Amino acid sequence: MSGLLAVYAFDELWNLSNIVRYGLMALQHRGSQQYLICIPHNDVKCIDGENIEVSNSAIGHVVVAATFSDRNDSTFYVDSRNGKSVAVVAEKAWSKIYEFTQQLLNEMNKSSNSLEAFKSTISLFLQDSAEFIPSLHVLTNSREVIVWRSFYGLTPLVLGSYGFDMAIVSSESTAVDILGGDVRRFLDPGGGLYISRYLAKSFKLGKPFNQGLCLFELLYLARHDAVVDGVSVYEFRKLLGVELAKNLDKDVDLVVGVPETALPYAIGFAQRIGKPFELAFAATGGKRRSMLLGDPFEKIVAIHLKMNPVKSVLEGRRVALVDDSMVTGSTMKTISQILRFRVGVKELHIFIASPPLISVCPFNVVKLDVQNLLAANLSSELAKNYLEADSLYWLSKEDVDSVASRYGLKLCGRCFGIDFFGR
Amino acid sequence: MKVLLVGSGGREHALAKLIRRSTQEPRIFVAMDYRNPGLEREAVETGGEPYIASTIDPEAIAKVAEEISPDLIVVGPEEPQFHGVTDTLREKGFIVFGASMKCSEIEKSKVYARSLMWKHSIDGRLYFKAFKDIEEAKKFIEFAGDVVIKPARQAGGKGVKVLRDTQAYLARDRHVVKKSYIEKLFAEMEGYRDIDYKILVEQRVEGVEYTAMVVTDGSTFLQLPLVQDHPHAFEFDIGPETGGMGSIQGPGWILPFINFDEYKKTMEIVSNVLKALMAEVGEPYVGAFAGQMMLTGVWGPTVIEFYSRFGDPEISNMVPIVVSDFLDVLDRAASRRLAGAKLEIDEEAVTLVKAVAPAGYPGNKKIASGHPVYIDEARIKELGCEPLYASIEMSVDGKLYTKGSRIIEIVCRGGSYEEVYKKSELAVKNVYSLDGHPLFHRRDIGSTELLADRIRVAEKVRVVYRSRAANGLLGKIFVWIPGEGVFDNPLIGFIR
Repeated sequence: MSGLLAVYAFDELWNLSNIVRYGLMALQHRGSQQYLICIPHNDVKCIDGENIEVSNSAIGHVVVAATFSDRNDSTFYVDSRNGKSVAVVAEKAWSKIYEFTQQLLNEMNKSSNSLEAFKSTISLFLQDSAEFIPSLHVLTNSREVIVWRSFYGLTPLVLGSYGFDMAIVSSESTAVDILGGDVRRFLDPGGGLYISRYLAKSFKLGKPFNQGLCLFELLYLARHDAVVDGVSVYEFRKLLGVELAKNLDKDVDLVVGVPETALPYAIGFAQRIGKPFELAFAATGGKRRSMLLGDPFEKIVAIHLKMNPVKSVLEGRRVALVDDSMVTGSTMKTISQILRFRVGVKELHIFIASPPLISVCPFNVVKLDVQNLLAANLSSELAKNYLEADSLYWLSKEDVDSVASRYGLKLCGRCFGIDFFGR
Repeated sequence: MKVLLVGSGGREHALAKLIRRSTQEPRIFVAMDYRNPGLEREAVETGGEPYIASTIDPEAIAKVAEEISPDLIVVGPEEPQFHGVTDTLREKGFIVFGASMKCSEIEKSKVYARSLMWKHSIDGRLYFKAFKDIEEAKKFIEFAGDVVIKPARQAGGKGVKVLRDTQAYLARDRHVVKKSYIEKLFAEMEGYRDIDYKILVEQRVEGVEYTAMVVTDGSTFLQLPLVQDHPHAFEFDIGPETGGMGSIQGPGWILPFINFDEYKKTMEIVSNVLKALMAEVGEPYVGAFAGQMMLTGVWGPTVIEFYSRFGDPEISNMVPIVVSDFLDVLDRAASRRLAGAKLEIDEEAVTLVKAVAPAGYPGNKKIASGHPVYIDEARIKELGCEPLYASIEMSVDGKLYTKGSRIIEIVCRGGSYEEVYKKSELAVKNVYSLDGHPLFHRRDIGSTELLADRIRVAEKVRVVYRSRAANGLLGKIFVWIPGEGVFDNPLIGFIR
C-alpha cells in the first residue's frame, strides 16, 4: 500500500522540501518502508530511501513524492530520451512500469503535448491487454505533473489547493489538511489532472471499469480524520460499529477497541448498546501500523508495543472487544492472551467489523496469503477456541452492503468472496 | 443620443450591449486603447465611431470628446479615473458617468479604503498594516501570522498572496515566502509613482466571495443583483489569481448561498462607505461602485476591496437580464437625477459568464500575447449566448490576436444553473486557437458541484459569525501575549 503526493507551487518562491516532509508524514500510515521524491532538474531526478529525510532533497517548487509499505524497485521509473525526461510513480509495484515509461517517452517524442502523450500511452496499454494499470503520477523535466486515478479506482486520489499558490494531489485528504490546504475534488476513476506553470486542467479517460473502491481503504488504511471519495472515514467506521452491535446477544460490562483503527468502531458499538467505551491499551514508542509490516517478527514486536493493557478497567469484567478486520488472527491472539492471562477478564466477546476474509486480493492492493487467512482455514468453532474467546462475531456481507449503499458507495469485496458491496 | 464610451475591454463591451438597447437610439462612440473588434462593431452598427486613443490620457480623451460632443460619456475602467480623465471631461462641461479622481481613491489605494472603514467604524472591516518602507515591512512580517499580502495600489486585480498560517510546523517556510514576496512586490510597486504606501498586510479571512454593485449619483443608490466571480485561474479553485475567470448570478437579486439579511447588510456597508467617502472628499460620487465581499466567520459580510466601477466580468451577467433602459439609468446618474429611478431585471433567470484566456495568463503576458484566434460568433449566438470581446485585438490583416489577458467573456442565460451550464460549455467550444497555443476556461464554474460547495462553505461560516454575533465578538480577534497583555490584533503569528 502507498501514499502518493504531488505538490505544485505556481510561485517559484517556494521551496517545498519541508512541505513535502509534512505531506509524507500525513501519509505514512499508508506505509513507511520506502520514501520517494522526484524533482524536475535538467533531467527529472528521483531519490528514494527508507527514511522520510529523503524529503530534504525536494527543493524547488514542483515535487512528486510517495511513501510505500514495502521496498520495491518497480514502484517508480525514471528515464530520458532526446532531451525529454520523465518519472513515472505508481501507487504500487507494477511489473510494466519500465515498459510504460518507454512507451510514454516514445509518445512524448512524437508530440509536444505531454498530456496527449500520456493519454495515448494509456490507450495503447489498454489495447495490448486489459491489464491492471495502477494510479500514476508523472513528472516531466518541463515541470509538468500529470496525476491519474486508475480505472479500477481501488484507491482514492484527492485534489487540494493552498491559496493562489499551490495545487496538492494526494492519496488521502489528510495531506491536504496537514499542509493547510482546502480539499477541492475527489478524482473519479479514470480521471486525472494536468498541471504546469501556466495551465492546469482536468481530464477523463474512457469509462471506468466495473470496479469499486477497496473496502480496506475505509476499513483500515485511511486515517479516521480523512474523507475518502466524499465519505467521512470516522462516520463510516462508527456506523459499521453500530451495525456490528446488533449482533450482541449477551450482556457485557464495557466495550474496547483494538488501537488505533478500531476505536471509532468501538465507539459506535458502545453508543448503540449504551455501555461504556473504555480505553484498554496504551502504546509505547510511537505508532506503527502492524498490518502493513511484512516481516512476521517485526509485526509481533509492533503489536506487543502497542498493547500495554489498562488493567484496572478490564480485570474481572465482561468485555466486548472490537476490531476492524481479522486477517491471520495473530493480533487478536496476542490481545486475547494479554486480556486472559495478564489482565484476567471474565468474559471476552470478539466483534469483527467486516466479513470473514477468505480470498487473496486479485489486485494485490492488500497482500494476503490464503494459507494464512484465519477465516479461510479455521472453522468458526475452532477460531473461537484458538482465540480463547467466549464468542466471535463477524459483520455480515449484507450489513456492509447496507452501510455502503447508504453512502452511495460501491466497494470492492473480492477478498471477502463478493464482487461488490453497495450500489 | 450620442454616447462616448471610454475603455477597451469586456466590461465596456457589456456596457455597449446594455446601452444600445435603449429606446433613446444611442449612437455609440468608443475611445479605446486598441482595436477591440466587439466595441468597434457596436460603434459602427449604432452609427457611432471607434477611436483609438490612450484611455488614461485626459487630454487625448478630451480631444476625442470635443470632436464628438456627446450627450453622455461613460468611463468604464478604473485607470482613466485614477489619471483624472473623468475630472478633465467634467471640467470641460461634459456629462460624465464615472468616479472622479478623488472618489476613485477608494479603489486605487487599499490603505485609503481600509482606513476610511476604520475611521468611520463601518462593519466588515479587516485589520491591516501598510508599509512605505521595505525594511519596516520585512521587520513586521518577521512576527506576522495568518495574513494576506497585497499591493497597496489596485494593480489589475492581481498580486494578492493569501498565506494561511495556522500550522506552526510550516510557519518558517511560509515566513521565507512572505519575506521574498515582500521584496518582489516592493520592486513591482516601484513602477507606480502615484501612491505612498507600497504594500498592505491584512488579516486573512475565509468564506465565500461575492460582488455587490451599485449605480449612484451621490444621493441615490441603485442596487444591482449580486454576482459571484471566480478568481482562481484553473478548475476547482486552483492556481494563481486572475481578474476573474467567470461569474454566476441569480436567480433574482441574491445568490443561492447568500440570504436576504446578508444582502441587506452588504448594501448597508456599501452605502455607508459611499457616504463616508463623500464626506471625506467633499464631492458627490457619480458612477458605479462595487464591494468585493466575502461572507466570513469573523463578520458575516466582510469587505475584501472596492471597485470604483463595474466589476469585470460581473457586469457581463447583467447583459441578458436588465429589463430597464440602462442608458437612462446611467444618464440619470451622470446628471444627478437618479432619485426615483428603478432597475428592473428578469428575476427568474440565471446567468453564467465564462472567460476564455490564453495559456500564460495571468503570470506571463509575453507567452499569452500575439496568438491568432477565431471565434465562431454565429454558433455562440445560436445557443442564445452573447460573446463579449475583451483582451483581443483586430489587426490590419483582419485577424484577431490575443493581447495577454482574457480574450472573451461569453454570457449565457437560462432558467436554471443546469441549463445555463450546459449552454455555456457548448458556447466556449467556439473559441479556437489558430496557432495551437492552448486556450483555457474553467469548466467547473456554474456547475452544481461547485455551487453545492459554496453553499456548504457559506453554511459553515454562517454558523460561526452568528455565534460570534451572539457573543458580541463580531470583527474582534483577541491575542494574549503573557506578560504584555491582551491585544485585539490578529496579525501576530507563531514566530516570536
